[in-house]
Amino acid sequence: MAKKNKKNIGILIIGFLILSFIYNHNLFRKLYNVFVINHESRLTKKYGYCFRESVGFLRMLKKKYKFNFNPLIINYEDAVPSSGWSIYDNNYRTDNNHKILLNYPKNLSLYFKPLNKIFYARSTVNHSNGISNIIFDLKDKHIRIDSKIKIYRKIFNKKEIVLEENFHKLVENNQIIPFEFNTKKINSINKPTFIEIPDLSEDQIGKINSIILNLNHEFNLKDFTIIEKFNNCYYVK
Amino acid sequence: MTEIIEILIQILFILFIISFPITLLETDSKSKISTFSFIDKLSINLIFLINILFFASILNINSKYILYLYVILIIFLYFFNFRKFNFINIKLDYYFLVLLFFIILISIDIAHELYFAWDTQSFWFFKTLNFYQNQKFENLKNLPDFDWPHLGTYIWSFFWKFPFSGYEYLGRITYAFIYVLSIFSITEILKVSTYQKIIFAILFISLTYNYELFSGLQDIMVFSLILIASKFVFYFFEKQHKFKLLELTFILLAITNILCWIKNEGLFFIYFLIFCIFITKNLNLKIKTLLIIGSLTIFFIKILVVNYYEINFNPEYFELRETLNLEIFNLFEKIKIVSFYLLLYLTQVPIYLLTLPILIYTSFKYKMKDITKFNLFFLILNLSFIYIAFLFKMSDTELQIRYSMKRVLFQTSGFYFLAIVIFINNYLHSFNQKIFSSSKKKNINLDG
Repeated sequence: MAKKNKKNIGILIIGFLILSFIYNHNLFRKLYNVFVINHESRLTKKYGYCFRESVGFLRMLKKKYKFNFNPLIINYEDAVPSSGWSIYDNNYRTDNNHKILLNYPKNLSLYFKPLNKIFYARSTVNHSNGISNIIFDLKDKHIRIDSKIKIYRKIFNKKEIVLEENFHKLVENNQIIPFEFNTKKINSINKPTFIEIPDLSEDQIGKINSIILNLNHEFNLKDFTIIEKFNNCYYVK
Repeated sequence: MTEIIEILIQILFILFIISFPITLLETDSKSKISTFSFIDKLSINLIFLINILFFASILNINSKYILYLYVILIIFLYFFNFRKFNFINIKLDYYFLVLLFFIILISIDIAHELYFAWDTQSFWFFKTLNFYQNQKFENLKNLPDFDWPHLGTYIWSFFWKFPFSGYEYLGRITYAFIYVLSIFSITEILKVSTYQKIIFAILFISLTYNYELFSGLQDIMVFSLILIASKFVFYFFEKQHKFKLLELTFILLAITNILCWIKNEGLFFIYFLIFCIFITKNLNLKIKTLLIIGSLTIFFIKILVVNYYEINFNPEYFELRETLNLEIFNLFEKIKIVSFYLLLYLTQVPIYLLTLPILIYTSFKYKMKDITKFNLFFLILNLSFIYIAFLFKMSDTELQIRYSMKRVLFQTSGFYFLAIVIFINNYLHSFNQKIFSSSKKKNINLDG
């Protein structure tokens, strides 16, 4: 009798543990979802149709155009890994003439916030051709800058100079100042970018809210024929 | 509905494939194989199959032919032993049914979650695609991180391709199968009732499971294989398994070969395990020689394949200039960082919180057994490896640690379940007696 009781208690505990596992991982809901939502929709829901990895858009293109090549995929969203895996086929070669631009931004820019005596950009870019112009967001109406401007990236405490140029100008608040410089050194999602204006006093630095560096697109939509478009995702040639 | 049916068929297919051929060799009730449990036999078949898949991958044999050959081998063995073999001998008990149930549960989670980890999207899945799309081993050169081991992704592609060739996640169900099998395998050696074993297994799964592990990363394979290896290593220290040390050695070497090709650190962990057996267990010369020659052969095969396919290790991972730049200040600073994060992440992998205190308690409280020494030596080597790997790897130690230390700690965490096994099998009885006798004394004092 005691043995039977022990067995029943054992079964009860096992049942409880299994149910709590199911409950903790929401498995009834997930089972229901697998029943009613098809694989393609679930996949799109996870990776986005035209945001984040944009796997939905990529798979739609592959289905519609029956690619017999691997197009070049450029994702402007830098917080996610490349989504090339979702349509990659080892049996085909890569054709760089066919490009898929995901999360393509109208303007490519870096925002620098003051950090002690330098300015630091939280965001990064990966597909720029160089710098187009610079904008100073000031607390005052204008500020006089007579200094060099150093733009550099940093990794493992190693500085990589992107640009070092003299800058002598009376800068007005939010004035678009042409600052053309072709470089691909500014492209990296791993290395944060900094701006240093060494001859600026602390008082002057305090007057700058932020610096905006507008960049040129490496892939300008004007240079391509748009084959398919959904929001800011493009298939171009 | 069809997806659920496909998941169930996939699980049955994996079960079918790994139910043979060892079971078919077991025709004589006196054979050494028959002394292994059903779950052990499944593990041995699995190890056998993965080794075949490994050779198929490096020899560029189409996986289709491997499947055909495997089925032919099963049919041949079945007819060869037709008269002697009896399917009724296979017992499907509650233990095994709960195991299958958990594989189904985890499979549902995988089918629902679907997403890949960053590393999977960046390179592991490309390797899987390479094999799934019938490309040769050398084509991996055209994909990211050629120097990363490929075997885990080959297994994924194999079970993605067979039997359905449908959804990618069907291949990842194999990882869930191996994971659950490894946990039920280790809890099987507890000297408690079947119900209690099941309870331990479920608790172990609840402690370790999260979907992230099955998002295409290979850490779960290292974890599971080390757990299976721990089970067979445990047999080395058990008297009733003394007569099959030779078989156990071959199994251990087969696991070593697999781990070498799953993840680079897996190679270190399994060699640590073998080294710890060497220094804590009094083995006979034959077994010692076999272990040494076997380990060297596996290492030699690795070097041979690496050279043949011209796999060049990415020098960025090692940063030799920084590695050899042993400034004392830097070194102390790094030791401080590694120690801090090691303590932090040890608390974030719950198994360590449970097993390490038990290991330390049994080591100090009771007379130390060989298996406890074995456990302790592995712990020391494991921690040393973590220090060395992170101290001498990259100049930015902290970044590396934040990215990977928790995963490295998880890979070997299952091994320490042996501490619980040692405690329950050897000391729990006396521990209970002590507790009861002290509470009795208290009661007597109170009564008095």
